[in-house]
Amino acid sequence: MNKFKLSILTGALLSSSAVFAQVTAITNATVHTLTSQGVLENATVVIENGKIKAVNPQSFNADVTVDAQGKILTPGLIGSMNHLGLVEVGAVSRSVDAYDKSGLEFDPSSAFNPRSSLIPYARKGGVTQNVSVPSLPWGESGVFSGLAFVADLSGEFGSVTDRKTALIVDLGAVSDDGSRAASVQAFSKKLSEQKAKLTAKKDKKKDKDPSAEEKLLIQVLNGKLPIVASASRASQLLELIKLKKQFGLNLIIEGADDAVLVKDELAKAEVPVIVSSVSNLPTGFDALHAHLGNAGELEKAGVKVILNVAGDGSHNVYQMRYNAGIAVANGMTHQGALKAMTVNVADAFGIEGGKIAKGERADVVLWTADPFEFSTRVDKIWINGEQVTTESRHDKLRERYTTDSSMPRGYTK
Amino acid sequence: MNMFKPSVIVLALSTALLGCQQDTGPQKDKVTIEKNPYPSTYKPHSTSSTLITNATVLTGTGERINDADVYIVDGKISQVGKDLSVSADTTIDAAGKWVTPGIIDNHSHLGAYPSPGVESHQDGNEMINPNTAQVWVEHSVWPQDPGFNRAREGGITSLQILPGSANLFGGRAVTLKNVPSETMQGMKFPDAPYGLKMACGENPKRVYGGQGVAPTTRMGNMAGYREAWIEASEYKRAWEQYEAEYAAGLNPDAPHRDIKLDTLRGVLDGEILIHNHCYKAEEMAMMIDLSKEFGYHAGTFHHGIEAYKVADLLGENGNCAALWPDWWGFKMEAYDMSLENVAIVDAAKNSCAVIHSDSDTTIQRLNHEAAKVMYSANEVGFDIKEEDAIKWITYNAAKSLGVEELTGSIAAGKQADVVIWDQSPFSVYSKAEKVFIDGAKVYDRQDSKYQAVSDFMLGQR
Repeated sequence: MNKFKLSILTGALLSSSAVFAQVTAITNATVHTLTSQGVLENATVVIENGKIKAVNPQSFNADVTVDAQGKILTPGLIGSMNHLGLVEVGAVSRSVDAYDKSGLEFDPSSAFNPRSSLIPYARKGGVTQNVSVPSLPWGESGVFSGLAFVADLSGEFGSVTDRKTALIVDLGAVSDDGSRAASVQAFSKKLSEQKAKLTAKKDKKKDKDPSAEEKLLIQVLNGKLPIVASASRASQLLELIKLKKQFGLNLIIEGADDAVLVKDELAKAEVPVIVSSVSNLPTGFDALHAHLGNAGELEKAGVKVILNVAGDGSHNVYQMRYNAGIAVANGMTHQGALKAMTVNVADAFGIEGGKIAKGERADVVLWTADPFEFSTRVDKIWINGEQVTTESRHDKLRERYTTDSSMPRGYTK
Repeated sequence: MNMFKPSVIVLALSTALLGCQQDTGPQKDKVTIEKNPYPSTYKPHSTSSTLITNATVLTGTGERINDADVYIVDGKISQVGKDLSVSADTTIDAAGKWVTPGIIDNHSHLGAYPSPGVESHQDGNEMINPNTAQVWVEHSVWPQDPGFNRAREGGITSLQILPGSANLFGGRAVTLKNVPSETMQGMKFPDAPYGLKMACGENPKRVYGGQGVAPTTRMGNMAGYREAWIEASEYKRAWEQYEAEYAAGLNPDAPHRDIKLDTLRGVLDGEILIHNHCYKAEEMAMMIDLSKEFGYHAGTFHHGIEAYKVADLLGENGNCAALWPDWWGFKMEAYDMSLENVAIVDAAKNSCAVIHSDSDTTIQRLNHEAAKVMYSANEVGFDIKEEDAIKWITYNAAKSLGVEELTGSIAAGKQADVVIWDQSPFSVYSKAEKVFIDGAKVYDRQDSKYQAVSDFMLGQR
């Protein structure tokens, strides 16, 4: 992908350089590689320079060796479709940068705040990367809300790792007096016009350089810029599959409450689907088939499933692993649910991470036990090769109010 | 509002000056206020007996009994213990399974904000005045909300439906048994007291401040409550005076009836329980003082993101706190969240910690919500066991609603509201297998005969 990978380098330079060359070995781990290697028992993972240097090498030299004592090591989880880093407090407008009317070209990535208190909190759930997305302002309707970007959750400056990752379009039910047919028409028209321009005869004298919007549409048409389309009604999902074929789109569908009705078609068309595994209410007439078993049904049909956290998925993306557990309780496979928060997200958005293999991003999580259980904690977590804490200001608040002191609480720090 | 005050004066004058004239005439019919004009029509229908055997039983009152039996007769828990030598119409082998009291959510908007969430279903906030104590949310409840069925599948046997939090006084709340019914009255929990929804903080001042109407500030919120309680106190006094004079054989005129003040008076009389949307520590402390100023109990604080900061105060004053494990950050007053909030509140002397949902989604898994708190707190040094944590969603919730003598625990004589779980309900993989309300099986995961479907969902494809 021709995106801004430079930012990874920048991020590395800005983060603490003293420990940068350090080699870490995690030994005796049960490693969920999420590659064809499957699950490796008593395995060793060696990390250097922010990358996974080796999995199960014959020998290694490490500055730090962590004995995992048989515990589970997984790739860091990847959140998606939320405003992480773009919001501190939902109802404090000057702390929110996720909403704008500018539409297709809106790229909120420069507003990403790595020091947001939401980020260390998200790490409590083993989340190491996130696909943040813009939205249209409350009450506004429209097709294009802008561009997604990816950040790692190191909390360091320069942690945006990928910009212009996907174009977010809303093609679902329309409130006010609009029609979803008009949304699809508007989307389709933009693509057709751009396609016509590309196939028209070149005239060096008359042709101008493509505008920023045109450049994005060109990337959409050549399949390099994924489209995330929200829609739920089954018949509309079939329409989207048609659009994918017509324009060669790299299509991802989000919401998809009634996707089970067309699961085979989605699988055949190789459309990844982003679902919340806890959506099981008929929230509208497009969601009459929402069910706890849907994530598992889609998986069984061969659809690439991505799990996310519905509702306030920015403040509580940490719940994603619990949602995976609920999906498993209702028919999804354990490995499938893990993939739905790691490798499937990375593959669908064309980003790094989500696997434990040589050369991959060293975003890994060591869990005290089954990653989906309430009784399990993140034991240790590495982002970009560096071990980071899961402590957040919430812990400071708890400590203040559970620590005895002869002085007013305000002095307990 | 003002129309009331002259009548107090009139009444006072009539008593003082005209009293002897009234003595002579025949008394008019006494004016009484019907306190239960929309009575419950719910009738427990189980007359058969059920024996659940060999389960891990959490009683809801802090006790865990391994390999225990629960014996249900005529809709009531008859016995609980090991190796009961009784016979029953139905015996369920629950070896390896867990049994808890029916789960109770004391904060739901099901039926008032039902699914589908369409324009015509927004029936939970009467946003016309900061004081709408006159509305009763039971008059908004759509019993066909599919959310009731989903909640039952998660073990919810009783729930309180509350009006929203736009207003200082949002209106009356109602407690329901989670049984399928065509009418609200068919779900209404017999003999449960009414609640009154109050709201602190950001919501009322945002809604009315945005319209240029009081309250626009938190001090405006407080002034609004105090004015209302002053008016209610006068109303209460007027009716009591009327009743006293009538009882003394006089012939007084009844005060003008006001359904808004009827509800507030019900609180002052101790008949209606306060359920107060209130996030912040300093606001909870002021709401407690407010209740003392006017002589009522401040009841249950809902949402209470900062309840852990005043846990001792809540215990001392006997307030329940109904909390989320982890919602936060959606507004400023929800910023200081602690994952151990419920555990810290619970640890205080005389505490009443409750986990609530305020959600048509998490109401389906309050057991999971309790698990989050238990494990998170134990990680930082608490020692909370399953038999303790289950109280947050059973007995304590019942106490908050004033029905703890009736339900919320597995003990002889209690209503047989019971859930059988396929494993520990504190596992993410756990599911309710069978749910009983007053001894009647209302849900069975293995038997579609006991899986209710809303009218709305019938025939949809």
